[in-house]
Amino acid sequence: MIAVTSLTKRFGARYAVRDLTFEVKKGSVCGFLGPNGAGKTTTLRILAGALGKTSGGASICGFDVESASMDARRSMGYMPEAVPLYPEMRVAEYLSFRAELKGVARRERPRAVATAMKKARVDDVASQRIGALSKGYRQRVGLADALVADPPVLVLDEPTSGLDPNQIREVRDVVRDLAGSHTVLLSTHILSEVEAMCDHVVVIHRGRLVAAGTREDITRQRRATSLEVVARGEREACEVAARSVAAFGDVEATDDGGVVTLLCPISASATDEARAEAAEAVVSALVAAGARVRRVTERASSLEDVFAELTRDGGGEAEGEP
Amino acid sequence: MTLGGFLPVLKRELFAFFVTPLAWVLVTAFLVVQGMHFVLLVSHFADEPQIASDQTPLQAFFGNTVILYLVLFLLVPPITMRLFAEERRSGTIETLMTAPVSTAAVVLAKYASALLTYAAMWAPTALYLVILSRTGEIDPRVAASSYLGVMVVGSAYLALGLLMSALTRSQFLALVGTALVILVLFILGVGEFVAREGTTLHDVCAYVSVWAHMTDFASGVVDSRRLVFYATLTALGLFGTVRVVDAWRWG
Repeated sequence: MIAVTSLTKRFGARYAVRDLTFEVKKGSVCGFLGPNGAGKTTTLRILAGALGKTSGGASICGFDVESASMDARRSMGYMPEAVPLYPEMRVAEYLSFRAELKGVARRERPRAVATAMKKARVDDVASQRIGALSKGYRQRVGLADALVADPPVLVLDEPTSGLDPNQIREVRDVVRDLAGSHTVLLSTHILSEVEAMCDHVVVIHRGRLVAAGTREDITRQRRATSLEVVARGEREACEVAARSVAAFGDVEATDDGGVVTLLCPISASATDEARAEAAEAVVSALVAAGARVRRVTERASSLEDVFAELTRDGGGEAEGEP
Repeated sequence: MTLGGFLPVLKRELFAFFVTPLAWVLVTAFLVVQGMHFVLLVSHFADEPQIASDQTPLQAFFGNTVILYLVLFLLVPPITMRLFAEERRSGTIETLMTAPVSTAAVVLAKYASALLTYAAMWAPTALYLVILSRTGEIDPRVAASSYLGVMVVGSAYLALGLLMSALTRSQFLALVGTALVILVLFILGVGEFVAREGTTLHDVCAYVSVWAHMTDFASGVVDSRRLVFYATLTALGLFGTVRVVDAWRWG
């Protein structure tokens, strides 16, 4: 439903998006991840027809976003990052205007507006001026606007930014309800969001694709599991004992008043069998060294770890989005 | 190019303008100033009946005096300044342009809203004609050609104002830019009296002189060259606006 092929966008000499290729299948909710300045907004704006590309291509429902721009825009509801709205209009008035603009027939307009307001939970402020609304309401008026013509594809740029936890949960529910019947691409840099809403993930960093697939795929693909062993004994002795296990990488040890915590990384390609054996080996080695083992836990990497791993090289430095 | 989206955008533009105090301040100021002009002109003509032989208050109101240009100079830029600049500053232009509407439809809708506003501001001045016709005679054809002049000159200025508004995110810059363009066009017209007769400069200045144009229109002369000139200016302004909008939109 959404296809991006070798998309490149350059601002002067700086590449905001570089040779980006990914696809979002019909009915899926795809999280578009990346640190600030990675090129998320630029990509979404190109998809929405708000910005031109430098090279490559993108299409919505098979319509190219430039050569068949009208059809592409008709099949999509877009919610920009800043959610710009006309402050002097009332909520229902604004949504009715947007529905008319998007070609919803006059007779169906009141119902379309009512449905969108209900879905985005803004029906209680229908007759208020947008300028007087709180950030959370404005954000959801933007969401209602994206939904009002009931397009098959939704492109949402940070739909939950600036919301309080209750509102975030509500928006998540809305997005989850859309899954299956709609194709959703939403950008975020909050990982718990992706874990809560999305079945697919696309990760970009500095304008390039670094990972794409289902959520589980990505977590599995970049698995860097480690064993955490807590034992009471001498730090030196424990460290030596743990190092004697061949399956471990570089062991790290921390001592907290006689209680030693050992972090033993284990190769991502190791089988479950090998992991279990390594756990047994480290326990017997520690016991043999005179330490008392309190706890052995396996640490599976979360999406958070994967994300940090994938976008490690100076990911914190923002390159700025226009 | 379809014009889908023209009507909703036009309606919203009119609403957005008349919901601001600026609109009503502008309407009030315009009518007060025009009313004063009218009173001054009428009392002037009443005091000196001998000059009435070659001029009527109507002619002086629409042409041959500096009054009209001053009014246009102060009226047009505030009408057009916000059309694109405001939406670009606030970012709403992004939601507008990502809806399935063509650039041409948006540009024409915004232009139409400015033109309607302008026409609505002039409409009450028709009362002056009613008042004049009570005490004297008014040639309806002269009145019609005068209003035609006001509309064609205004439509060209508004198109240029729209272009200025598309060129910048700052409403103030758009205002100053539009005022400047109107001023330059007026000064070029003054060149007719400065340049020596027979030179190309003189002819060019005479051709673009809004002063001469309005004097014609106000005395009942509808010259097709004037109409072509202002239609061309209008078309250039609108075409330029579409190009500018497409440039920053796909840039």
